[in-house]
Amino acid sequence: MQFTLLTSILAAALVLCALPVAGGQEAGGEEIYKLQCARCHGAAGQGTKKYPQPLVGGKSPAQLAGLIGRTMPDDEDEKCTGEEAGRVAAYIHDSFYSADAIARLNPPRVELSHLTVGQYRNCVADLIGSFRPVAKVDDQRGLRGDYFSGRDVRGGAGLISRVDPEVKFDFGAAGPDGETEDGKFNPNQFSIRWDGSVLAPETGVYEFIVRSDHAVRLWVNDTKRPLIDAMVKSGTDTEYRGSILLLGGRQYSVRLEFIKGKQLDKKKLLSAKPTAASVELLWKLPRRTEEVIPARLLSPVKAAEVAVMETAFPPDDRSYGWERGTTVSREWVSATTDGALECAGYVIAHLSELAGVSDDASDRGAKLRVFCRKFAERAFRRRLSEAEKVWYVDRQFESAPDVEFAVKRIVLLVLKSPRFLYPGAMDQADGHGGGDWAVASRLALTLWDSAPDQALLDAAAAGKLKSREEISRQAERMLADPRVKVKVRGFLLAWLKLDPAPELAKDAKRFPEFDAALSADLRTSLELFLDDIVWSAASDFRQLLLSDEYFVNGRLAAFYGVEPPAGGGFAKMKLGPGGRAGVLTHPYILSSLAYAAESSPILRGVFIGKGLLGITLRPPPNAFTPLAAELHPGLTTRERITLQTSQASCVACHGVINPLGFALEEFDAVGRFRAEENGKGLDVTGFYESRAGPTVEFTGARQLGAYLAGSEEVHAAFCQQMFQHLVKQPVRAYGLDKPRQLQASFAESGHSVKKLIVAIAVTAASDASGQEAPESVGAATGR
Amino acid sequence: MSRTRREFIRDLGISAAAIPFVLNLPSLAFANQGQRKQRIIFMFSPNGVVRKNFWPDEEGEEFKLKEILKPLEPFRDKMLILNGVCDQVRGDGDSHMRGMGCLLTGIELLPGNIQGGSDTPAGWAKGISIDQELKNFLHKDAATRTRFGSLEFGVMVPERADTWTRWSYAGANKPITPIDDPYQMFAKLYGRAKDQEALSSVLDGLKDDLKKVSAVVGSADRKLLEEHATFVREMEEELKESRATAGHAVPPLEPGVRRDNDNMPQISKTQIDLMINAFAADFMRVATFQYTNSVGGARMKWLDISEGHHALSHEGNDKLAAQEKLTKIDMWFAEQMAYMAKRLAETPEPGGEGSLLDNTLIVWTNELGEGNTHTLNDIPFVMVGNGLDFEMGRSIKYKRTPHNRLLLALAHGFGHRIDKFGNPGFCGGGPLELT
Repeated sequence: MQFTLLTSILAAALVLCALPVAGGQEAGGEEIYKLQCARCHGAAGQGTKKYPQPLVGGKSPAQLAGLIGRTMPDDEDEKCTGEEAGRVAAYIHDSFYSADAIARLNPPRVELSHLTVGQYRNCVADLIGSFRPVAKVDDQRGLRGDYFSGRDVRGGAGLISRVDPEVKFDFGAAGPDGETEDGKFNPNQFSIRWDGSVLAPETGVYEFIVRSDHAVRLWVNDTKRPLIDAMVKSGTDTEYRGSILLLGGRQYSVRLEFIKGKQLDKKKLLSAKPTAASVELLWKLPRRTEEVIPARLLSPVKAAEVAVMETAFPPDDRSYGWERGTTVSREWVSATTDGALECAGYVIAHLSELAGVSDDASDRGAKLRVFCRKFAERAFRRRLSEAEKVWYVDRQFESAPDVEFAVKRIVLLVLKSPRFLYPGAMDQADGHGGGDWAVASRLALTLWDSAPDQALLDAAAAGKLKSREEISRQAERMLADPRVKVKVRGFLLAWLKLDPAPELAKDAKRFPEFDAALSADLRTSLELFLDDIVWSAASDFRQLLLSDEYFVNGRLAAFYGVEPPAGGGFAKMKLGPGGRAGVLTHPYILSSLAYAAESSPILRGVFIGKGLLGITLRPPPNAFTPLAAELHPGLTTRERITLQTSQASCVACHGVINPLGFALEEFDAVGRFRAEENGKGLDVTGFYESRAGPTVEFTGARQLGAYLAGSEEVHAAFCQQMFQHLVKQPVRAYGLDKPRQLQASFAESGHSVKKLIVAIAVTAASDASGQEAPESVGAATGR
Repeated sequence: MSRTRREFIRDLGISAAAIPFVLNLPSLAFANQGQRKQRIIFMFSPNGVVRKNFWPDEEGEEFKLKEILKPLEPFRDKMLILNGVCDQVRGDGDSHMRGMGCLLTGIELLPGNIQGGSDTPAGWAKGISIDQELKNFLHKDAATRTRFGSLEFGVMVPERADTWTRWSYAGANKPITPIDDPYQMFAKLYGRAKDQEALSSVLDGLKDDLKKVSAVVGSADRKLLEEHATFVREMEEELKESRATAGHAVPPLEPGVRRDNDNMPQISKTQIDLMINAFAADFMRVATFQYTNSVGGARMKWLDISEGHHALSHEGNDKLAAQEKLTKIDMWFAEQMAYMAKRLAETPEPGGEGSLLDNTLIVWTNELGEGNTHTLNDIPFVMVGNGLDFEMGRSIKYKRTPHNRLLLALAHGFGHRIDKFGNPGFCGGGPLELT
């Protein structure tokens, strides 16, 4: 197996610094740089032919000074030390090296962006959904089950009517009430209808699976056309599958009908010997394994149909680490055409329902016109002038041969318009950074990747999105929507470098039970952990690195050697023995940051250093194959790694990486605790030279977790990454001091993730024009 | 003024006539011009026939058409009437179910939960049907491959999927749902062209809109919208191009035909017209055309018959009024076949000699031989057209011959030389010799 061994170049080798002190005067940092450093590093740190690596990075001035003092200049490293090194380091840091300096030299701006693929799908779904009733999902979990005697499942309430947490039943030869005789049901012939909805936890193609030895039919989202129709029970098939694209964070109606029994006459029904009957409703999430649809995602409340557009779009640009729509391509423009046509087809197929008018109503034309005007306004996320309504809507009705064709043209015009595709396009024309409508639009994009809901539109129409308080209140209200949870979970997974999901293939000899199903459970377990902490009342970020309680189901319990939880699902518990620390020691993360058979302190150290602490690590100069464990049977992993990375060219980076990863060595390639390795005790001490000052030492995961949970570096990286993920713009485009402000408010809030989300949303919603929203309504500028 | 969806589609159809058909089937449309295009249509009507008014008395080339088949008189020398061909497949399911499910598959039904009027319950057929077998055979070869391969038409097929409503199977347990809404079929065949027309009609608007928005964004952002506009102009060029290389025109579609029993004649005509157009465009080489379903209960009020077809078919042979009505019903189906044949005969073979009928075989059949006895013997097989080089203009009387041998003969007619189809036990003697 190959892996990339990270070697040095933290701050691209600072090469030079030979300084004659002129006339006893102390030389300034800039002067020193010009005299000693610029020759190799370039006048503005841009690099030279001989040393092309530009001088940019994440070290603090003190760290830079230390490095310069020890190593610079290359030929005469005694020449620039002490205060001189400090001065030149400060100059370098503030002039071109730090992120702030870079932003000052080339200020980032909020760029006009088109909807990302996810935003496009969400906007269309919500645009159409805005013409449908909103389902109020309550706290009940499971599906409504109605049990009937006989084959007719279309009646009202059944003989039994209850909420079933999940559909996984084996009735044997009995009736559904467990009785074989004298029960309310004839065990030869009964039927069941399960009704309600399911929350899709992520976006993707879902495969629904019904297993039954009798007739079944399943509807998902579309209540007219079944996804699975096995009403004709034929041959030996007992498993039926259907695939459907679902958008994450939305509720989809589900209905399952089960009918046991042939169409027998009464006499035969009473005399026949009952056969066995069972039914299960499962699904397979994208890149996961099959599972019975869990109760936590089911609700007995039905949901309105969601318009899910299936048009394939080219993937978004993710080169900065977050998806953004700041470039256009032929493929993308062409996909927007196909998307608009698909949506037009959908709208026309559901026109009467969406417009609330019957096919032959005398005022159909007028009602459709009203519908289209609303459609355009909601798509453009702002109020349209009368002239605009005429342009987009009325003139189509006047020129098209019939109303349906007019509607089709309008949908095409609207969904192909830059006003829909580029949400910020009209902000400048509207002045004040777009005013209340733009604030509503940006809030919805930041928190939901979608369009404003009715409450936001109402607030915008009433001019109530001006002050920070008003905007904050809306953002807080919006947090209750499952779409935020999906988006924030998506960020956290990206923060943890788990998007896209890694393939966890483990050594079948050492870990025979580690299969695809276990790996899928681990991912679910991590997601539940993240959700649980972020959406708790305290929403304390630090718990992500401190908590030692994880979500475990039966399969995970068996594998990690703990008592299985009562009930079928996941329950929160400690994974003892061994002190664990939040995400650092979650077995999913430990398994993904490891090889098939061995742990990898390097992968873990890079994850902590680069991902959590936000330090800059350059790739190693060459690709290296790790030393094979079996060739060094007497060594622990730590000893092997140390052996391989001890050269000078490795140490600059591995001196930082390895000590971070070593602290987690008590956990093996699948995240199980181990007290020793190859018969040797484990050394789990480590250290980190923080940017703010002292070198911190720690022993084991819990001490490392405690350090990271309180580290300002970790907080800063988290705030910045979250901002960019949610807003899809560079944070410094909203002010060079914005990262520090966010971090300060994060600390003030007790490191509440929820409050950070709100702060980010308010910043992005109000600051797009570069102007801060005023503190209160009184100070608001009128529109 | 409010207008119906039907009118809208009709208007589109006519005004779209000049629109090119598609951008997305380049090679398929032209790859297969070399050899003769053989086609086949399977037409179904239910509930058996009134035997005395259906089967010619004579054998050979000298035969007289009885009342029911009279509408086919103009095609007498292109006709082949096969008596004595029997559906001998047994097993689960009642006669109506097996009659339907085994008709084109030649194989038993799987055990299941659908209980008929008698016999044991059953599920779907155990194997592929001959139309799909031919479709797959033609699809394998680029020279005979078409856009759809086959199309499954229906007329008033009930909205339920069971053994009585399906006769075409992609494989065991894989029934194919026929499309009995002409507007749905139209959308399947010509939807893309309609979309392009709508798109063309809003292009100027889109460009204006882009210009207006570009004018109000900052100069740094304008570049992005200008790039966007470039791609919109390219789309415009492509649309124009496709107009210039216009291929098949979109046919007009009769408006306002609701899916309703009383509209059966209109639906039938519309579906036939769509089928003929689709053949002319070489969208497919195989079609099934299913009137109602096995046990179908159409009420042919336009023939002054108020009773349902199936109920009438149970009346005994001595009930003359019922026999007369059933004769009229079957005659109406013969008229539909005659209309198909006429349309095929009127349509020149594109890029070839003669008419479509010279290269097409219509096979009209039924799930039963006779309604009141529910026999699966003497299944009606009436064929019109010269698609398979059978020696036409004949009435043939076989002695209790399994219909699998006829299905084999159809395959061989396409050069698909299989020696078994469906249950191999009924394939003894090989394909019927019809050439």
